[in-house]
Amino acid sequence: MSFIDHEPHGVYFLIDNKSFYSSVECTMRGLNPLKVPLVVLSEQKNTNGGLILATSPEAKRLFHLKANVSRQRDLPQDPRLVVVPPRMNLYIKRNLQINQIFTRFVAEEDLLPYSIDESILDLTHSWHLFGDSPKAVARRIQETVRAELGLYTTVGIGDTPVQAKIALDLYAKHNADFIAEIHYETVPAMIWTIPNLTDVWSIGKRTAKRLARIGIHNMYDLAHANPYRIKKEFGVMGLQLYAIAWGVDRSDLHTQFKPKEASIGNSQVLPRDYRSRQEITLVIREIAEQVASRLRHHHKQAGCLVLSIGFSYAAAEQDGHGGFHKSLTIPPTNDNQELTRQAVYLFEQLWDGQAVRNVALYTSKLATDSGLQLNLFQQPTRQLKDAQINRVVDNIRQRFGFTKLIYGSSLLKGGTAVQRANLVGGHNGGNAYD
Amino acid sequence: MTNDAKVICQRMDLLFKRLARTKYWLQVVNDHYDHSYNVFFNSQRKYERLKSVPLHTIATYDLSYLEKVLGDLRTHTQLTIEFEGFSGQLWPDSQRLIERVKNHYE
Repeated sequence: MSFIDHEPHGVYFLIDNKSFYSSVECTMRGLNPLKVPLVVLSEQKNTNGGLILATSPEAKRLFHLKANVSRQRDLPQDPRLVVVPPRMNLYIKRNLQINQIFTRFVAEEDLLPYSIDESILDLTHSWHLFGDSPKAVARRIQETVRAELGLYTTVGIGDTPVQAKIALDLYAKHNADFIAEIHYETVPAMIWTIPNLTDVWSIGKRTAKRLARIGIHNMYDLAHANPYRIKKEFGVMGLQLYAIAWGVDRSDLHTQFKPKEASIGNSQVLPRDYRSRQEITLVIREIAEQVASRLRHHHKQAGCLVLSIGFSYAAAEQDGHGGFHKSLTIPPTNDNQELTRQAVYLFEQLWDGQAVRNVALYTSKLATDSGLQLNLFQQPTRQLKDAQINRVVDNIRQRFGFTKLIYGSSLLKGGTAVQRANLVGGHNGGNAYD
Repeated sequence: MTNDAKVICQRMDLLFKRLARTKYWLQVVNDHYDHSYNVFFNSQRKYERLKSVPLHTIATYDLSYLEKVLGDLRTHTQLTIEFEGFSGQLWPDSQRLIERVKNHYE
């Protein structure tokens, strides 16, 4: 009997879409996602010429493009290549449709969407209803998605979620059927043989470097290191790394993760270097209003405000700092004016004329918006009116769209709110106009 | 003119810049998955990448309606219209084959 018998056993699938955005765009054009060299290129003003969001497998093969997020300047000028703009809302819709299909194979509580194109499925209790083996079920899910949406999916199968994840990331995409399996028994053959630590989920460049410092250079080393030593070096996260090397994962998909401290905020990269105080404060004001509006939408008040400013490359080099970052405790509020005032105050305090390229504003210490704390130093009627105005503006924007009611200042040089209003995650949301 | 045709013309006019050595054409795709017709505006400068911008999705999944929309479109523009995903199907009105050139990617 080995330790494995005491560890949780299940049948977990990790399913992702092959080059999701580009595959969706291919199917919309009646093309086969695997055969067409297609690239999804976001050409917002702040992307410095264009950002590649996704490349189809064929484009990767023909032009040796690396997976995701490179620049337009790395893209060859080749007449075979098809370039399309992103439509984030469409991808969200497709993701929901795919998860809809998954719920035919698992109960809803056994399905955990992990990202825009990845989901974790716990088929422990339901796989035998759909096939003779987990692999046959995976095949069936793939065929269903392909038939109904035209998309190709890759499936990693494992006894634990982390085994499935590693099977998906490292093996499934190289197999002809896009399916790979890892079980406790095959962990030595499939996980310990991984030469690059950074290929493994949760290990990045910095963690790999730190592991190398204590003599761990590959997964075999990690699995055979002294767990107490790793814990001393890395804390509990070190033990998690050690567990991954053995394919052990005790996470329970049914218990929802609750962040200790929720926060609401927004950030943006500016389309060019902003140098004048007026332009920068304009953007800060726009972001503060957006954040305040989101706070009200979630019925929250924020007790802490964090402003992060990133300098432009040139300014950062000159200054020696990449930017600044400061938090401020404020009386709980979700009022436009109050948040704007505090954010601008923070900025004025710390800014010393550097060119700015990055602005982020976050609020935390969120409390339920149960009432208005009146301020002794202001007319109460004025305060009530302000709160009312905020609510009316929110309602109008919700009904008719954000751009239908904006401040005149947003039309000044440097304002970004109007231009960003129809973006999703910083990229074109819909059919440009829809 | 149908509403769909109007929307397509409006959006197309913004993109049709008549640059030198550049090919422009429209693409109409039969979307089996969503049961709709997707319209794209394609352009390609010689030796450069093909750019394909979505113009509109025609939700009415009916060939005779599509024939009408395209009739309206043809009064507005003379750009070539390329068809995708209609193999073997005929226009209900004129009884001509819709997709006369077969695409090799399907």
